[in-house]
Amino acid sequence: MLFLAVTVGGWLMVVLPSVSHAARNTLRLMHASRAVLLTDCWKPARFPRSTSLFPEALATHEVRGLVTDSSGAPLPGVTVVVKNKISIGTTTDLNGRYILEVPDNAVLVFSMVGFDTQEIATAGKTEVRVKLLPTRSVLGETVVVAFGTQKRSDMVGAVTSVNVADLKTPSSNLTTALAGRIAGMIAFQRSGEPGKDNANFFIRGVASFGVGKVDPLMLIDGVESSVTELARLQPDDIASFSVLKDATATALYGSRAANGVILITTKEGKEGKVKISLRAENSWSMPTSNVKLADPVTYMKLYNEAALARDPFASAIYTHEKIDGTISGQDPLAFPATDWRKMLFKDYALNQRYNLNVSGGGKVARYYVAGSYSKDNGVLRVDHRNNFNNNIDLKSYTLRANVNISLTKTTELEVRLNGNFDDYEGPLSGGAAMYNEVVNTSPVDFPAYYPADSAHSYLNHIMFGGLRNKTFSNPYADMVKGYQNNSRTLMLAQLEVNQDLSFLTSGLTLHAMMNTNRLSSFEVARQYAPFYYDLTAYDPATKQYSLLNFNEETATEYLDYNLPDRSQSNAFYLQSTLNYDRTFNEKHHFSGMLVYYMQSTINATPASLQLSLASRNIGLSGRGTYSYDNRYYTEFNFGYNGSERFYKSRRFGFFPSFGLAWSVSNEKFWQPISKVISNFRVRGTYGLVGNDQIGAADDRFFYLSEVNMNDAAHGGHFGKDDAYSASGITVTRYSNPEITWEVARKANVGVELGFFNQLNIKADFYSQVRKNILMTRASIPTTMGLSASVRANVGESSGKGVEFSADYQQFFSHQTWLKILGNFTYSTDKYKIYEEPDYKTEPWLSHKGLALSQPMGFIAERLFVDSVDVANSPPQAFGSSVIAGDIKYKDINKDGEITDLDQVPIGFPTTPEIVYGLGFSFGYKNFDVSTFFQGVARESFWIDPASVQPFVNGGRQIIKAFADSHYTTDNQDIYALWPRLSTVDNANDNQLSTWWLRNGAFLRFKQAEIGWTLPSGWLKRTHMQSTRIYVNATNLLEISSFKLWDVEMGGNGLGYPIQRVINMGINVNF
Amino acid sequence: MKKFFMPAFQRRLRVLALSVVLPLAWTSCKKYLDIVPDNIATIDNAFTLPSTAERYLVTCYSFIPPESDLPYSTLLSGDDLWLPIDPLPTYEFVADECWGIALGRQNVNAPLLDYWNGPLGISGLWEGIRDCNIFLEHIMQVPGMSNVQQKQWAAEAKFLKAYYHFYLLRMYGPIPVIKTNLPISASTSEVKVKRQPVDSVFSYIVQLLDEAAADLPVRVTDENQELGRATRLAAMSLKAKVLVYEASPLFNGNDDYAGFANKDGTALFSGEVSLDKWKTAAQACGEAIQACEAAGYSLYRFQPTAQAQNLSSETTTKLNIRNIITERWNSEIIWANPNSTTVYLQRQATPFALDPAAKANALPRGNLSVPLNIASLFYTRHGVPIDEDRTWNYAGRYDLRTATDSDKYEIANNYVTAAFNFDREARFYADLGFDGGIWYGQGVYDDNKNDNWVVQAKVGQTQGRQGVTLFPITGYYAKKYVYYTNVMSTSANVYSMYDYPWVELRLGDLYLLYAEALNEADGPSTAVYQYLDSIRARAGLPDVADAWDQYAKDPGKYKTQAGLREIIHRERTIEMAFEGQRFWDERRWKTAVQTYNNPITGWDASQENASAYYRVKVLYNQTFSLKDYFWPLRQKDITVNDLLVQNPGW
Repeated sequence: MLFLAVTVGGWLMVVLPSVSHAARNTLRLMHASRAVLLTDCWKPARFPRSTSLFPEALATHEVRGLVTDSSGAPLPGVTVVVKNKISIGTTTDLNGRYILEVPDNAVLVFSMVGFDTQEIATAGKTEVRVKLLPTRSVLGETVVVAFGTQKRSDMVGAVTSVNVADLKTPSSNLTTALAGRIAGMIAFQRSGEPGKDNANFFIRGVASFGVGKVDPLMLIDGVESSVTELARLQPDDIASFSVLKDATATALYGSRAANGVILITTKEGKEGKVKISLRAENSWSMPTSNVKLADPVTYMKLYNEAALARDPFASAIYTHEKIDGTISGQDPLAFPATDWRKMLFKDYALNQRYNLNVSGGGKVARYYVAGSYSKDNGVLRVDHRNNFNNNIDLKSYTLRANVNISLTKTTELEVRLNGNFDDYEGPLSGGAAMYNEVVNTSPVDFPAYYPADSAHSYLNHIMFGGLRNKTFSNPYADMVKGYQNNSRTLMLAQLEVNQDLSFLTSGLTLHAMMNTNRLSSFEVARQYAPFYYDLTAYDPATKQYSLLNFNEETATEYLDYNLPDRSQSNAFYLQSTLNYDRTFNEKHHFSGMLVYYMQSTINATPASLQLSLASRNIGLSGRGTYSYDNRYYTEFNFGYNGSERFYKSRRFGFFPSFGLAWSVSNEKFWQPISKVISNFRVRGTYGLVGNDQIGAADDRFFYLSEVNMNDAAHGGHFGKDDAYSASGITVTRYSNPEITWEVARKANVGVELGFFNQLNIKADFYSQVRKNILMTRASIPTTMGLSASVRANVGESSGKGVEFSADYQQFFSHQTWLKILGNFTYSTDKYKIYEEPDYKTEPWLSHKGLALSQPMGFIAERLFVDSVDVANSPPQAFGSSVIAGDIKYKDINKDGEITDLDQVPIGFPTTPEIVYGLGFSFGYKNFDVSTFFQGVARESFWIDPASVQPFVNGGRQIIKAFADSHYTTDNQDIYALWPRLSTVDNANDNQLSTWWLRNGAFLRFKQAEIGWTLPSGWLKRTHMQSTRIYVNATNLLEISSFKLWDVEMGGNGLGYPIQRVINMGINVNF
Repeated sequence: MKKFFMPAFQRRLRVLALSVVLPLAWTSCKKYLDIVPDNIATIDNAFTLPSTAERYLVTCYSFIPPESDLPYSTLLSGDDLWLPIDPLPTYEFVADECWGIALGRQNVNAPLLDYWNGPLGISGLWEGIRDCNIFLEHIMQVPGMSNVQQKQWAAEAKFLKAYYHFYLLRMYGPIPVIKTNLPISASTSEVKVKRQPVDSVFSYIVQLLDEAAADLPVRVTDENQELGRATRLAAMSLKAKVLVYEASPLFNGNDDYAGFANKDGTALFSGEVSLDKWKTAAQACGEAIQACEAAGYSLYRFQPTAQAQNLSSETTTKLNIRNIITERWNSEIIWANPNSTTVYLQRQATPFALDPAAKANALPRGNLSVPLNIASLFYTRHGVPIDEDRTWNYAGRYDLRTATDSDKYEIANNYVTAAFNFDREARFYADLGFDGGIWYGQGVYDDNKNDNWVVQAKVGQTQGRQGVTLFPITGYYAKKYVYYTNVMSTSANVYSMYDYPWVELRLGDLYLLYAEALNEADGPSTAVYQYLDSIRARAGLPDVADAWDQYAKDPGKYKTQAGLREIIHRERTIEMAFEGQRFWDERRWKTAVQTYNNPITGWDASQENASAYYRVKVLYNQTFSLKDYFWPLRQKDITVNDLLVQNPGW
């Protein structure tokens, strides 16, 4: 049944069920006539220009008119103001109409996002009809900047605003959409597990090598937020997404902004008809790649080979009988060959996402209400014999209500309420742990479970396979033995007041904001202790066996529970902003701003007394800008910030910055070529930004010593029967009152070029120096006997880079368009001052001048040919014996032995230096197609030999590639992929060396989308404004030289794989 | 109506907005950031009350290396004990650390058993020394304590400080001496300390122990609360031991280290042998023994209990020996460490399914095996080495022999085992478990019933090889570690164990050190024989003179200094077997190069039949070179402090 809802001024006026065609026609009639009706009934509510307030505006007359788009359709919600008197203004109503009392000879300014602003003189007119043209150039856009907005053409700092539509990927994690979209952002994703798949991202690289905060400050509606909050944000709800990168753009945030700022605002309601938008998606997600493991028989043969390789006295691990029995496959219970991965995982998972938002409003109040629901499933199997679900099931809900209320013509109250709820159900130890366990379990030692035989037919429990008298893990049992519930709740309440203070002086406004958010989460784990059975008394002749349970005492058939983790935190934020913005004589544009903020966060589950204290910041910041004639721009910013972390005398930091810009294309002399080069602008900035979040998150108050007065690890007991016992006392931090802010000095030079108003190119060159990086003193020898490391602000690093972005759009006709977007970031960094021993004789060990994430390791020459080769080479003493087939390292310092001194910088940094993205979209009539490619380059990573070393940890499986290529006495391949096999971690071969170093560069076909918008004719009878159906996919294809697993996972290849997602969706607007 | 109302309303709102927002914004910012309350704990809080000061003293004790904890001790680092596979899975509670040294894996990049730096759960001893110094700096100012008590606690810290220096000295040779702490803010050059010549390190340790002994009580006053804390007897005994080390060839005129010097040329080892050092050592040993005996200490003897009934004299002698280290705080123990747990050690040493009904009980692991080389060291029943006993068939030792009723307290009647296991001294049967051997205790206590456990270690038998662990790879168990009343449950994973403190100093140790020092200082004497013989008497052996005169191929051996030295060394090795002494003794005697360059051997544990089982199998070719006498300094430590010189050979 359809309902027709009509809202006026925020009040629900008419709700009528539409019963038949005839009735609907009648309604349409009513609909048509309502325009008049509404305009009339609204009249008294319009704010009359009160003569008492504006005595100078006596000579006025009424102007009315209609605003339409180029096709003639009425445009509701267009702002209509009198130029230089923004206090006089209105917005167009549902039918694009407006009425305004204006001073005589006023100039009306018509503006709306997405359309070019128009100015029309009213002199002598009572009716002004306007046709607004869509914005062709992005220059007219306003961009959200620190504590306000600026016109893109006025920008001095380096700010990238992201087209929110680009962030709509088939994922319920927004952070996975960031890579390659934003010039200046380094982003990559290491895991595909729902709930744990947040991407890592850094603005202009990781500039600090301290252990503190290196990721950007994230502000959602002005409030500091966590990565998870960003991840859960719905692209549909985002109004703007800006990335602030240089000193002038971020200085206002002072202490918090050294690593850049991501600024997001959510949508607000606009005056006009109610708008409903619904989006529903269903997607299939599957791993982009799975690591290939060797088959069980090869596994056993190689395990035997490994045992004998290093100990000629060792006896075979697996007998011939066992191997032959497994090959024959006759008796899978006695000779199990378990494919744990098949046993545990499905091929794909189904995920759903729904998003509904309603917006609208009138002159008194406007609202935007949105709700979303997403359900992400893991790929784990569920045993039908359990009545619970142990698969990953992440349900995420959000509810957002943004309401703006005009209390008076000059006072606006805004209330934002946001609830964000995650309900997670999943395996006890998480999905990645299950992937790990599969790889870490021998395929041949026992089956996942034994079918109940006649002797056990009465049992209620599953007879899991296990090994007597040995520790073992049965991944299947661990997966199905229980499940875990997590719940995360974030409630956010925000109150804002906008006060126009033009009654004091024109252009002055005040904004105050108060926000509090409450985050809480808990986990409940429920599990039974599985019964494990071992197969005994197997008789090969009769194939008879008996099953023996060996853990009857500890196993349970019933569930038990525990509460592993719970946390709670409260944050409070208060901010007031005084703004001034005025243009004099049409050419001199001044703006000024002062911001005062204070914030406090407190955690309910602190690990220590010091952590139980609130984290606080306080700050006063300011901005002043002056521009002349839209040609010359200057800007000055400062932040004066305090942090509770430092000693009184070191608490406050002052962070100034300034910038200059010149719009060359607005000069007269440019006129002749302005048709070709439509925009040319240069800008430069320089300034300081701070960071107080140095050191580990659980390590605050460096000026205080921390003493553990109850240290059980250093306790003891005494007496005949240990009657006396006590804990010890340990210093866990030595005080240093000198520790203070980490400071970044940032410089930025940018060039913007526009051609034919179609192609825009932006290039930014930047550099920064980080000073006062907190470091552990490396010069203190162990003989000092310190129980904690001593730290000081001694480190220094520098970084520089360049970022390009380009966009091109072309409308071939009103039905055919093409858009190309590309960006490229190259960011490098290096150590300038690093606390390290004085490497006089081994200068290559010094970090100075190297990239912050530069890997250091040995140069692996090859594998040892034979024992003579080993004997004739410098000894490699890493605590394991070295034999033929082990890795031979290069003796860099030529001292005749391989020690730590022979390590050199090898490969590229482990954080990619180059990140790029390229996207095309194309539309023809109702069809649109878009593709997006993303890549990184100049990155290295290690295959972590210790985490892929076969046969360890009770029988880890062997990766097929290693089984196929490793050194054996029969095949003395000294360049084989894997050195000589070993049943234990081999310290010699596990050293970080070029043997394990791989190139992390890749190019991904990251996203593709095809959409079809239903022809408007079809919708006429449905009250829908538009409907779009689309299919999209992520991670379709990858080009990389590394083949063992998805290269983006880096060294962590055995974790939860990155997912490929195929998605179908529908978006309906009413 | 509205026309009237709106302006007034607006004005009121404006006033409201300004009056609310501005004051909120400008609250005092200084106060806002002052969130740290005054009473945050600092190190001074540890010394404002006697009870917290005592906790700090406990911290000082906590650095004593837990020598019974296999991952952190040298028990597995020599050739005394061996394991079935390399490495044992982590669940066997044996880390690679300790065994790696036996396997020749010591290295400079990540030294094993690195008590210098203290990684991987090891307590770094420099940290322990710093804590002792902090304690010494503050203890005399603690209010509410008597001066006597303050001095006593200070003396305990000095004792520990001396012990930690000694521990490092044994491992690393010449070490820096940390008499007082350097301040945290010390300059980069101040913190670079140098290694001190071994003689000055020894003399500082002895000085500390003398100072400590003066203020310590002879015995602890409250045994229930304080056993395990330092006493005057412990300080005197430790001093005696330290001085014996100083006099021993490794530190006393060691030619091999003649050129070993600091960068400034300071020689770290003196090239001259000093006989006086032995004299000093002998004197200290004598004084310590005298003081201990005066305080009532004596060699341990088993006292029959209600539980252990009808004991044969053989079993009683074995319990005399087995219980020396496992009977808590017996009359022989001068100092033991209650914080060094022996639970895992006992689990590893107890045969799996010793009680065949306890096959489901996997707590007794039975992995800790004794190589054949060590089993060979034990005397014959006549108290002389197996290759020196004229009456013992040394050549036929690997032949098979069937036990008779007369062997029933040692070997099961009618059991076929190697001749090697027959006619050995009581310490052989007390300390070792082996195929066919009787295992007294562990739930069975009546000798008359003839139902003692019998170890059966060939494949297919209860303790035979199955899988990779749970069996003795050499054929011998270290029974000495297992307290005789521990009982393994048959149905569950329950093994009730008696956790005894690890013995650091005992009277028998002092007797042997005294005998050694006297012989080195003045040659054979009645005093030397007297102390050796009292040890032998407890083990049921004849006196040295009688034994050699009657049974040895070289009867006069004990009459020469060199011959007696050999006898003392062997006696000490047997008596102190598995107590963690041999590893250090072989080093200080400078005999390790000979001892540890032999193959590690055992019976062939993979065999079912006696004839195949009792064949000697090489398990590992152990090597030891000159550099192995001392630990290497970690490469990184030398890089950080370039004034430290690396030990020779590393």
